[in-house]
Amino acid sequence: MAFSAQTEKYSGKMGTLTFGSGDQALTVGGQAAMPFGSFDGELPNKAVIAMEVYDVVNPEWPAAVVDPFKDVINDPVAWAKKNVEEYGAKAICLQLTATDPNGENKDAAYAADLVAKMLDAISVPLLVWGCGAVEKDAEVLAKVCEVNEGKNLLVGPAVEENYKKIAAAALGYGHAVVSQSPIDVNMAKQMNILISNLGLPMDKIIMEPSTAALGYGVEYSYSVMERISLAALAQNDEKMQCPMINDIGKECWKAREVMLSEKEEPGFGPDQEKRGVLWEAITALDMLIAGSNLLIMRNPKAVKLVEECIEELTA
Amino acid sequence: MPNPIHQVTFQPNNQTVDVFRHGENLLRVAIAAGVHINASCGGNGGCGKCRVIIDQGQPESEKSAKISPEEWDKGYRLACTTKVVDDLTVTIPPESRIDNSVLRKDLGQKQHTLMARDLNSLVQGVKINPAVFKYYIELPAPTLDDNLSDLGRLTRELKNEHQLENISADYFLLRRLPRLLRDAKWQVTVTIVYNPKGLKLIDIEAGDTRDKNYSIIIDIGTTTVQGQLLNLNASHQAEERSVIDDLESELLVASDAKYNSQVRFGEDVITRIVYSQKGNGLNELHREIIKDLNEIIDNLVNKGGIEKDQISHLVVAANTTMTQFFLEIDPKYLREDPYVPTANFFPPVRAIDLGLKLPDYVHVYTFPAVASYVGGDIVAGTLGSGIFQREELTLFLDVGTNGELVLGNCDWLVCTSCSAGPAFEGGGLKYGMRATTGAIEQVRINPQTYEPMLLTIGKEKPLGICGSGVIDAIAEMLLVGLIEPNGKFNQELNTDRVRKSETGWEYVVAKADQSAEGIDDITITEGDIDNIIRTKGAIYAACKILLESVGLTFAELDSFVIAGGFGKYINLERAITIGLLPEIDVEKFMFVGNGALLGERLVSVSREMMGEAQNIAAMMTNIELANNMKFMDEYVAAQFLPHTDTNAFPKTMEMLK
Repeated sequence: MAFSAQTEKYSGKMGTLTFGSGDQALTVGGQAAMPFGSFDGELPNKAVIAMEVYDVVNPEWPAAVVDPFKDVINDPVAWAKKNVEEYGAKAICLQLTATDPNGENKDAAYAADLVAKMLDAISVPLLVWGCGAVEKDAEVLAKVCEVNEGKNLLVGPAVEENYKKIAAAALGYGHAVVSQSPIDVNMAKQMNILISNLGLPMDKIIMEPSTAALGYGVEYSYSVMERISLAALAQNDEKMQCPMINDIGKECWKAREVMLSEKEEPGFGPDQEKRGVLWEAITALDMLIAGSNLLIMRNPKAVKLVEECIEELTA
Repeated sequence: MPNPIHQVTFQPNNQTVDVFRHGENLLRVAIAAGVHINASCGGNGGCGKCRVIIDQGQPESEKSAKISPEEWDKGYRLACTTKVVDDLTVTIPPESRIDNSVLRKDLGQKQHTLMARDLNSLVQGVKINPAVFKYYIELPAPTLDDNLSDLGRLTRELKNEHQLENISADYFLLRRLPRLLRDAKWQVTVTIVYNPKGLKLIDIEAGDTRDKNYSIIIDIGTTTVQGQLLNLNASHQAEERSVIDDLESELLVASDAKYNSQVRFGEDVITRIVYSQKGNGLNELHREIIKDLNEIIDNLVNKGGIEKDQISHLVVAANTTMTQFFLEIDPKYLREDPYVPTANFFPPVRAIDLGLKLPDYVHVYTFPAVASYVGGDIVAGTLGSGIFQREELTLFLDVGTNGELVLGNCDWLVCTSCSAGPAFEGGGLKYGMRATTGAIEQVRINPQTYEPMLLTIGKEKPLGICGSGVIDAIAEMLLVGLIEPNGKFNQELNTDRVRKSETGWEYVVAKADQSAEGIDDITITEGDIDNIIRTKGAIYAACKILLESVGLTFAELDSFVIAGGFGKYINLERAITIGLLPEIDVEKFMFVGNGALLGERLVSVSREMMGEAQNIAAMMTNIELANNMKFMDEYVAAQFLPHTDTNAFPKTMEMLK
């Protein structure tokens, strides 16, 4: 008798999210099976990596994430262009560090203007990420949405304390929103309910269930994401059927293991760059296997490595 | 259901509601009908906002300065001071009316407000046979021929006259016996107490005092202590009656309650156990609770107009920690793995030995405990709720500082408890209070103007808000869109009732000029709402996990009995709207007020029930939630209004659309 592999039938399907405008628009999500499980169901869209660009760089960054951008590191627009043209970035994530009230505290108009310039300079979809100060992010991201109306940006993170303003602006000016929650299945769902209650459709929301780096709790992110995927697919829980995004670069490139040289920590071995690249790539792979659809990454070699893996696993 | 006595029809929407009590308050009838009338003073006639026009029928109504003689003649009345003593047709004047265009889906629908039933018929076939009973005996005086000892003479007569055997006598009694018998000319009344170990002669009085036989029952909660004075003589006279309900009015003489003074050592049991481990801590906590009991006993005696020496029995039910504090037993190991209590069954103890100011012959019956966090109060509640007798699957939920749950029927019982917090007893809320006079107990909010409709206990000016009022208020705020499902205020509404204070956003339920003397604006803050969400989430999650632990779901329940210090009423729809109760057929719910007192009362009037209490404690299986991962998941899932699992609340979600 011929061998026939058992397959898992899921009653639900993950929704999709499209960001960017015109021919540049990208769609993620829409999977009807667990990650890379094409034998169980359709996986219509490959995961996408958005490469990071900072408006202010922390001087403590290790060489592995400074050297590739040395010539453009003080010019975020040029950096974005370089990521696209030289490193083949499929999307860009602008990290608005300069708006942090505890840092340079630049205003919303600055951010909106920077986003507009970046949109003019690049030909791929753009994510705009706030500094993490909830009130400031609401103000800045609302302005970014308003000034760049209709560009279908992906803005975030919207959290419980500021989602209303951000989601309202995204709804009003035609953008999509990252809904971030503290590493818990139910809280992720609650954020989706709250944001969609405001009228933003589910296909304009992507979840960031809180990302932890390898060695810093990646297993927690993993299990929460896997449970979200199962709730969406196996239980057909429609409020869980938003694709997922992970903010990886920021978490990985502050880990002790990537920051310290062999001199400071002999046990870590000589190749600090390789160590950092692998740290980011392996964290990213973990997130992909947990069900991520969109990854924010920093190092070009790590990005290349993960993209090769995606190609191989979906071939 | 009893037959309605009157009908009230509200115009212009032609909503008719049945009234089951002659003289029912018209404002309460309106709430039951789902009809909105502005009312902000709690029902004392002070604000004059609840004006209605009586079109047909003759109500009983008080004159008010808020209604001019001309208006009076036109039929204007204040709903809050109007009693329904006739069939009525009532028109709501325009200022109170809600525009049909925004008519909420839940308005005009029949509401299910349950009133706490005190002594109820949940338990079948209770034989009236009090644990403490009195006999009047005329003894033959001793002679040289009949020279039996005084005590021997007494027990001989008890055996001959009343078939009582194997009676032991209290030592202290012996010291009084020889003189008393002779002074009383051998005509005495004896008090005998039954406990599971046998009969004990505890008191002897001159003459016939059978009509003076009282019992005090006390429920020691972590937050609230409640007591009742019972006239056991009433039960004695009613021996031939089989239905205990008949007794209610004769049996219950007085009630009293106060906050547990131990609260100043910590709001929860854990903090208090920790405190008890320092220096003289255990004794301090013990003395504190004894002080509360003495205060309640004094109040009950005063209210009942009796003397303390007429009290023959004291029954106490409490959670395990409170029981150990009450008996001054070190509670240290209750909170240490593997969480073992000192005893499940507590021996009878004399009240004076605990420092209670009661006659030396009064003994305390303490309800047995099941486990460290499932105490005598839940055993008493289980007894009172009658689960142990029924075939049907029943969930009994006692909401106190700990949410305690029992599931089962006459064949099996499982129980669990969860830390809920004192929010439903008014604790930890900015204007929270116990369900006593002046507490806002019912709240409706106008969806257009956000003006509230309030009723307070006793219809006095509002002093604060009790559990049932908070449930109503939060459900209403959610239904009219004042708050989001995460309990945060909608800050963009055009009303001065939602405002930002030093402690955050809040809704003004009663403005200072409508509140009691010296009370500022009564508000519900975002912090209060968080508190309630945590509490209701813990309770709902515990119910769900307890059912799951035996492979059942809410849908399979035949009945759901709720007990707790919310207040006199609980509106089921509102409790479901906030996700405290599951969305099941409302007919399955019952509300019994204080469950522990119910069970204690049964034990007072029937010694067979004492045996049942022991059986219940022995047959209950405890499910520990402390290290249950699924509980944590369910708890977080319930931190939302009504719940993150919206599929479990389809009707509520429909109303919220």
